Amino acid sequence: MNAQLENPPETAVLELPPEVVKLAIKDLSFFYGQKQALFDVSVSFAANAVTALIGPSGCGKSTLLRVLNRMYSLYPGQRAQGQVLLDGEDMLSPRVDVATLRARVGMVFQKPTPFPMSIFDNVAYGVKLYEKLSKADMANRVEDSLRRAALWDEVKDKLKESGLSLSGGQQQRLCVARGIAVKPEVLLLDEPASALDPISTARLEETIAELKRDYTIVIVTHNMGQAARLSDHTGFMYLGKLIEFGETEQLFTNPVTTRARDYITGRFG
Amino acid sequence: MDHTLKAVDVDLGSLSHAVAAMGDLAVAQVRAAVDVFVRHDLPAAEKVVRADNAVDLQDIEIERNAVRFIALRQPMADDLRRPIAAMKIAMQLERCGDLAKNIAKRVPRLDTAPSEVQSASIAELGRMASERLAAVINAYRNDDAQGAYNVWLKDTDIDERHEGVVREIVAGMAAEPDSVGDSIHLLFIAKNLERIGDHATNIAELVHYQITGTDLSNRPKL
Repeated sequence: MNAQLENPPETAVLELPPEVVKLAIKDLSFFYGQKQALFDVSVSFAANAVTALIGPSGCGKSTLLRVLNRMYSLYPGQRAQGQVLLDGEDMLSPRVDVATLRARVGMVFQKPTPFPMSIFDNVAYGVKLYEKLSKADMANRVEDSLRRAALWDEVKDKLKESGLSLSGGQQQRLCVARGIAVKPEVLLLDEPASALDPISTARLEETIAELKRDYTIVIVTHNMGQAARLSDHTGFMYLGKLIEFGETEQLFTNPVTTRARDYITGRFG
Repeated sequence: MDHTLKAVDVDLGSLSHAVAAMGDLAVAQVRAAVDVFVRHDLPAAEKVVRADNAVDLQDIEIERNAVRFIALRQPMADDLRRPIAAMKIAMQLERCGDLAKNIAKRVPRLDTAPSEVQSASIAELGRMASERLAAVINAYRNDDAQGAYNVWLKDTDIDERHEGVVREIVAGMAAEPDSVGDSIHLLFIAKNLERIGDHATNIAELVHYQITGTDLSNRPKL
């Protein structure tokens, strides 16, 4: 009756039913030159759900996120091996154009990265790369994106002002608006709230909770409370391996593996 | 492995210590209540009644510390189950204290000291109830899921004995109609002890949950 405590498995990865999977990672390994950073990671992310990736610094969670939209292809010597299947199509295949991939898989980084241009142009900039919209359609797209990012009410009267004039929390939501303006299918967030105060964090979290109705969201966070509040599924990584993946409620109330339990309860040495 | 933040270990340790100490006190109260009944010791019965206040205060203190721990330490997984279980176990023990107090309160209301047969029956039921409670507190103290499970499995023993005692008391009422008043008190005392057994079973479920994160379901029923 107590087998899970006496003989906990080394790894425990929940397999999602195929019909809910948007993004499936299969046997993914990643190398920074000679150094291997990910080891045969296989995991699926559900559509219209938030998946959190947690783990100590250097465990590979940000690396995994960056592989998902081939951020690594900017750097020579870095290579991925395995598959990242978006609706069944391998995004790592050289046949897939990187610009098209990044329109489908958007990313928001740890530090807000507004462009040195107006709030309006920050959101419109990416759209112009992929679509030719009329002035009215573009204005609608910008407004819709800012509304979805829960920023519209705060900036609607100053759209011509610089994006850099906003507070840190507003800048981060501006980056979310910019990310979703190109209508991606997947949104990757790399510690998006780590530089924000609690109020801005709460607003961003509410934004993410709203966005999951339309997007598949993967968030890397060091804040376990945030992972618990926001996500439907959580993956715990350690030394480049996926140790445990499952329903967030299960992982935070009764993790299966000893490593995940030690990490989330602060017993990590 | 210990927590990186040592204060978490200190808090959890003192919470567990307080629950175990409250359990010891509840066991002592149950034993004392049965003892004063058997000896028909009125002054000692009054002491048992007054001592229940200490059990109530421990319940309040455990709840306060558990809430504080959750608010300040924001625990997860088994660290979260511990304060939750502590609060719920303390509540069960507080009920055991009330039931023991109720037994002691009935002692001066009996017209006559209980007969040898009645004393032996209630004493036996009291021994079973207090042993169950002591065993489950022991399992709690030692983080012993198997020990808690063993207590849980034996839930029907005390129920069976209780039914036997009730039959004896009812038979006594039929034989001696004058004793009906006292017999009703005896029925309540027996029922209280059977209820203490139920609380011990509840605590066994909580101890098991705290350690394993899983529920014991389908409790054996008489």
